[in-house]
Amino acid sequence: MAYSDKVIDHYEHPRNVGSLPKDDANVGTGLVGAPECGDVMKLQVKVNPVTGVIDDAKFKTFGCGSAIASSSLATEWLKGKTVEQALAIKNTDIVTELALPPVKIHCSVLAEDAIKAAIADYKSKQTQDKTSSVGAGASV
Amino acid sequence: MSPDPIPLRSASTLECRNCGAGAPVDEHFCRQCNRILAVQRFGDYFSFFGVPRRLTLDAADLEQRFRDLSRKFHPDYFYNAAPAERLASLERSSYLNDAYRTLRNPVSRIEHLLAIEGLPPTRHEDSAVKVPPALLEEVFALNEELDEIRELREAGGADTAALAARLASARKPIERKRDEHERDVQELSAKWDAQAEGEPAARKSTLETLRERLLERTYVNNLLAGIEREAQSLKPSSESPEPTAQSPKP
Repeated sequence: MAYSDKVIDHYEHPRNVGSLPKDDANVGTGLVGAPECGDVMKLQVKVNPVTGVIDDAKFKTFGCGSAIASSSLATEWLKGKTVEQALAIKNTDIVTELALPPVKIHCSVLAEDAIKAAIADYKSKQTQDKTSSVGAGASV
Repeated sequence: MSPDPIPLRSASTLECRNCGAGAPVDEHFCRQCNRILAVQRFGDYFSFFGVPRRLTLDAADLEQRFRDLSRKFHPDYFYNAAPAERLASLERSSYLNDAYRTLRNPVSRIEHLLAIEGLPPTRHEDSAVKVPPALLEEVFALNEELDEIRELREAGGADTAALAARLASARKPIERKRDEHERDVQELSAKWDAQAEGEPAARKSTLETLRERLLERTYVNNLLAGIEREAQSLKPSSESPEPTAQSPKP
């Protein structure tokens, strides 16, 4: 079974590798894992608080080529989307774009989970922020 | 190593193809005509061996049962039998080997128990079982450390002894975790056995915890395997320098 050119491209030239300040109120972090294959994926989004648009997205994934490609592609797609649009990204979109074979579909599921987790984290920070605006800036 | 997918059927009897008599699924030979019965992959390896569905097994007893059954099923004894019986002997022998291999190993034994109790190993698509966030954090941080060590080694010129020491200290917490898991699995196994007559809900919750621990165990073991590979590459003038370039896993 061969990887598609797109997977190889993302694997060899991953986009947006790195990390964003975890404690920033506008940054949401999703950390997910697939124990069966030992993969672990961290995906972060930085949301513009005024427009609600994702300005920046970063990831770091330890895992197979498909997991790396799935998260790399996810960060590309996330930039410029609103939080709501981001939540509409489905793992099947990633499967189609990267032409993932059936045995690698779980990698795309992992990427979708990571997006959802990152956004959930951002949202929970926002509600926390409103309830305790005095504590803003205090590190956790 | 994982057990066969278990057809969740409730059939409780087999039919002897020779005389048509019915037999319980865990019988090997027809009670009426004594012929070997065609094997049904009904899946319960415990009842196949005639042992209770417990996680603590007497290894010597299991081996004895395996030997006895091997002898009874052996295709050599069916050399002159009808084709259906020859086939049954072959299938039963092969099934016996699977069953023995599965029950002999404590981990695959638990996996098999989970499967026949209706808690098959989870696929990722089914997100019923989640890895605890703390473990994920730990796995992530360790992977980062491992990555850094690997990069320093590949860049060359680094003090390999110092890197090896760094790797060794990275390894400690995860090894502790593995030991913790092993202990947990043993305790939970003993708990399951003690609950044989207990409340179904309590028994189920024990199995669910067991399934989670097994999953975490896989995680930890994968990580330890990665650390082990790196440790090999850091060995001074190792006789077989392993190419650990970050190639994608198949």
